[in-house]
Amino acid sequence: MSADARQVTPRRERRPIRWLDVKKGSVRVSTATKEGARSARDVRHLLRFRVSGLRGRARRAAPIAVAVLLAVTLLVSVVPALVPEYRIARTDVLILLPTAYISVLVISITSAAANGGGRELLPREQAVAFPVSPTTDHLGALLMAPLNIAWLLQAWSIIGMTAYGVGPTWRLPLALLPVYLWLFTGTALAQTIAWVVEYVRRGRSGSHVVRLAALLVGGTIAVLIATHQMTNVLDDSPTLRVLLAVIAGASGNWYVWEILLVWLFGIAVVAVVVGAWMAGQVSRRPARDELKVETSRHAARPHPGSDFVALLRTDRAGIWRSVPMRRGMVVLAVFPGLIALGGHFGWDRLAIFPGLVASGGVLLFGVNSWCLDGRGALWRDSLPVSARLAFASRVTVLMEILLASTLLTLVVAGLGAGLPTRSQLAAIACASVVVCLQVVATSLRWSVRSPYSVDLRSSRATPAPPLVMVGYSWRLALSTTFTGLMFGAASVAVWPVSFVLAVPFLVWSGVKLWRTSIRWADPVERSRVIATVAS
Amino acid sequence: MTAAPEPTTPAPVVDVQSLWVSFGSVDAVRGIDLQVAPGAATALLGRNGAGKSTTMRVLAGVIPPSQGRVHVAGRDIRREALAVKRVTGYCPDVGGLVPRATPWEHLQLAARLRRLPVGWEERARDLLERFDLGGVAHRVTGGFSHGMGRRMSVILAAFHQPRVVLLDEPFDGVDPLGVEATLDVIADARAHGSAVLVSTHLRELAVQACQHAIVLRGGSAVAELSAAEIGGEEGAGVYRALLD
Repeated sequence: MSADARQVTPRRERRPIRWLDVKKGSVRVSTATKEGARSARDVRHLLRFRVSGLRGRARRAAPIAVAVLLAVTLLVSVVPALVPEYRIARTDVLILLPTAYISVLVISITSAAANGGGRELLPREQAVAFPVSPTTDHLGALLMAPLNIAWLLQAWSIIGMTAYGVGPTWRLPLALLPVYLWLFTGTALAQTIAWVVEYVRRGRSGSHVVRLAALLVGGTIAVLIATHQMTNVLDDSPTLRVLLAVIAGASGNWYVWEILLVWLFGIAVVAVVVGAWMAGQVSRRPARDELKVETSRHAARPHPGSDFVALLRTDRAGIWRSVPMRRGMVVLAVFPGLIALGGHFGWDRLAIFPGLVASGGVLLFGVNSWCLDGRGALWRDSLPVSARLAFASRVTVLMEILLASTLLTLVVAGLGAGLPTRSQLAAIACASVVVCLQVVATSLRWSVRSPYSVDLRSSRATPAPPLVMVGYSWRLALSTTFTGLMFGAASVAVWPVSFVLAVPFLVWSGVKLWRTSIRWADPVERSRVIATVAS
Repeated sequence: MTAAPEPTTPAPVVDVQSLWVSFGSVDAVRGIDLQVAPGAATALLGRNGAGKSTTMRVLAGVIPPSQGRVHVAGRDIRREALAVKRVTGYCPDVGGLVPRATPWEHLQLAARLRRLPVGWEERARDLLERFDLGGVAHRVTGGFSHGMGRRMSVILAAFHQPRVVLLDEPFDGVDPLGVEATLDVIADARAHGSAVLVSTHLRELAVQACQHAIVLRGGSAVAELSAAEIGGEEGAGVYRALLD
């Protein structure tokens, strides 16, 4: 380069990055803060864009769903406080609260980490057309976090428990304020931890490091349970301060209440800021496991022996070669089992677990199961094969994956439950088959009725929009819990009772499946589904 | 003296009369007539939303016609959709590949469902090589580029030598070698006696690949021209005038 050229080339300006640039007599908002404000505004725009995309039933149902969520939150905030203290003392409930508060953190971390950093406000494929910053992505993921049935149930549980513990007093809203704040703080903390996990996962050998870390955490918990130290550890939980703030609010100790609220709020702010920074770091790393799957090679197998086997192979590949589904199934198969193991659940209580696993499994893809073919759906439908056979293949692949996950959960949970009686074994086996068929029948009906165009390559993708997913999970949870409770009750009767009880459930699910298969075989209906998922 | 027998025109393999396709209140296709003889190639040209892809989807048996008569290889698509699917090969306009299956697995599935006799693998391998996909035959298609996906879709439409080859935007995003291979596949199909329908925006390639072109506008056919009439600079002007 010549001397002249060097002279005309402007030197790159180097400035230290600071949150605030202090000038004489004035404080100017720094670029980072401006970016934060801009990201918050972008979240609002993206949310509006998402809402404007809702059509038909979903558009009508969305405000109702939001109103129901708020109404339930209001009810669980008030009604338990009015319940008279009868068999469970209010103080006993207060003692359990620090542990219960931790559960929000655990559920949020598990959910966000399994989803590769939490839900997306705008699917990745659509977001590429817009300048969506990592901070916007982070704030969107935070906003989406409560749209998860596990999070909602846990949040409502701790609000209700706290309301009961506080009792009927005019200070109840003030006493509950730290709990609402904790829900935000805990979720923000979990989101930040999930970004850290994702950052590590995207590094070299990251998947192995994350798996090893998960094993270490699981092992530590197992040791604590085995040595009966878990209670002591939970008693020293930092969430004790949330309870102190609740008690301070209920008793009018405003100084302590204010201090603890500021403390909680401060942690939340730090967590949101650090989370945004981590989201930026994550965005600079390629999603190695997704890329690995997308470029994976699979040796040729012998030609399929029948049309059904050929279809089944393609459907299985759609599931097992997908990062979110594989990861989700592992979490669903192992996590509930570990909880049951840690909680020393007996076989009578395990009857609700198949429903939990089956519902979770089907929510990974089954509620929009034709989207597994993606844009290949058009080509697949042009192949000369009966639509009913393709439907049967989808039923089979869903059933086998749900039954396998349920079995794994029960094996893990059963390690601490001893040997089951014949009645318990019959009840748990029948419950497993019944709920799996139940959720498959329901999810395939939804798949045909309300298909969505979704790219399930991303580990953060969901098979339907988030609010729709809440509706689906809520309905699945209700029906499978009811079924589980029925078989739980049947486990104390003689063993044939479970089989007799299973018959009407199986017949009902079979009829539902039959009707859906007829609907699927209708060319007009099928073309609507295919055109939607392939669009 | 007896009169020399007149050359008989072969019956069309694709015979569409007054095809209407409606999606709710929207009429995507409004009364199209279309005939393609065996060994002939016809291009469907037109702007976005002209009804080209919808017509192709109807012929592939993916969308049922709302009204009209659609016969493929003598079979009514409304009543014998499965039989029609057996004699057609379809390259859809979007994607066309199952994202987590490999090209070879696509071919295995198609070969099985189409009851191809033993030995289909040789032709499949040959096509994969011609389209420069031999090296990725066992890689999942989710990571394929757009052009690779298009090339693979053309293979899937043609490898079983169907009586009707339906290629919807086969040249979209495809490199020159891929275009060449696609033109060869169309020529081979014609030589084999197949009827070929190509839907594309690329007029010059349509002229190269087909003898006839039907220009669609707003769901209706506005002109049927020979390749000579629509080719070259003069043809470009004719085509441009038909689009407005």
